[in-house]
Amino acid sequence: MAFRQFRALLRKDIVSELRTREMIASMFLFVVLAMIIFHYAFTVHAGNAGSGGSGDLSLFAGGMLWVVFVFGALLGLNRSFVHEKDEGCLDGLLLCPVDRVIIFLAKMTANLIFLGLIQVLAVPVFVVIFASGRIATHLPAFLALIVLADLGIAALGTLLATISMNTRARDLLLPILFLPLVIPLLIAAASGTSTVFSGTAGGGSLLARLAFLLVYDGVFLVLAYGTYDFAIGE
Amino acid sequence: MESTSTAALDRFDRPAGLKLATTTVILAAAGVALACGLLVAFWVAPTDASTLGFSQKIFYFHAPIAETALLAYGVAFVAAVLYLRREDAKYDRLGVAAVRLGLVFSVLVLVTGSIWGKAAWGVWWAWDARLTTFLIACLLYAGYFVLRGTVEDDSRRATYAALFAIVAFVDVPITFFATRLLPAGLHPVVLGPQGSGMAARDLVAFLISMAGMTLLFVGLLRIELGIEALREELRDLKYRLGS
Repeated sequence: MAFRQFRALLRKDIVSELRTREMIASMFLFVVLAMIIFHYAFTVHAGNAGSGGSGDLSLFAGGMLWVVFVFGALLGLNRSFVHEKDEGCLDGLLLCPVDRVIIFLAKMTANLIFLGLIQVLAVPVFVVIFASGRIATHLPAFLALIVLADLGIAALGTLLATISMNTRARDLLLPILFLPLVIPLLIAAASGTSTVFSGTAGGGSLLARLAFLLVYDGVFLVLAYGTYDFAIGE
Repeated sequence: MESTSTAALDRFDRPAGLKLATTTVILAAAGVALACGLLVAFWVAPTDASTLGFSQKIFYFHAPIAETALLAYGVAFVAAVLYLRREDAKYDRLGVAAVRLGLVFSVLVLVTGSIWGKAAWGVWWAWDARLTTFLIACLLYAGYFVLRGTVEDDSRRATYAALFAIVAFVDVPITFFATRLLPAGLHPVVLGPQGSGMAARDLVAFLISMAGMTLLFVGLLRIELGIEALREELRDLKYRLGS
């Protein structure tokens, strides 16, 4: 029963997104634009070939990648409840005999899928631009890093997006609440990705980051599970 | 709305006030303890033998402030859990008061830490685990007040604030451990597995300062709680006059 409800809710989100594709399109464009901005913002200091530097930004690759994804995810998270709220869909959902946690899980999964889709498109672009294709050695670890970090972003982001859409400030509030909370995740994901890109990944340091992300995800999933009733309101 | 206005009526009959007598005693005790802590720190405790030298004295203020800030966030966390369970407005008031004081103490931690950092390490700021954690805690709990400012409905504001206080409190230790993933910082570990690392006389000064700071927190918390209650009462009175 619960799974059927979950599937129906998830399907609703995906179908309505596929009709307009506005969220995925704007997230992807934002992510690519941010990469270009990073390139020109940083090569000034990293030094181009003329000033003796190599113009190699792979040292910063992990940080840039996750800044781009966190801000891109923020864009999507802000949109994720707009239609629900404005078109009255949320009121309908709340009237349905559905456990609030199912609503959370469906929304979180939808956000996770959209973020993952953006990454499937954007990571290859990123690797070509910034990391000169060096990634193959630790590909499984890199994928695990992405999945775990995305799960944390989606879990925490969905909970906070639910709160902020019910306030007057709405999309203004979400970054202020979300960004400080996501800093630990950013530290782990960015430093892990950097070791992958620079090819210096000691197995231990990467494992420690993966374990940290796993704990982070677990903590915020449990928190969201326990508090979502209060977040979504009556 | 009905229940809050009857609660306001109850308070109107016997005003909550600030209970200034007890609070004054607590604050006076805090003042005495803090002064004693400083006296012991400067005249009894030996000057630090390492390169820190005299600048180490700020430790007797810095560390107790830091622990009090964490205590304040802990109080806010407990108040938030109690609010979600009981939906009693008094826990919301306790939460706001505790977070406000926690924020003030956190800013003081950053300021005193920065002064000490300049003396000890030669820089005003280092991206060390503790410094970063307190900076992020400041930003988080500042967000708490932004959140409160954007919700009109009383019970909903209290619910969201409680939720966020819980999430934020859980995040603080996580942030601390996350920064540990990066290369080690400069900050000394005071209370570690090897014991306090302090001589007995230093420890006395430290514990007295800490008791003083905790008493200061309790006194200020009582004042804040009184102010919150009065503010609510004032708002109810204005509301009734208006309608």
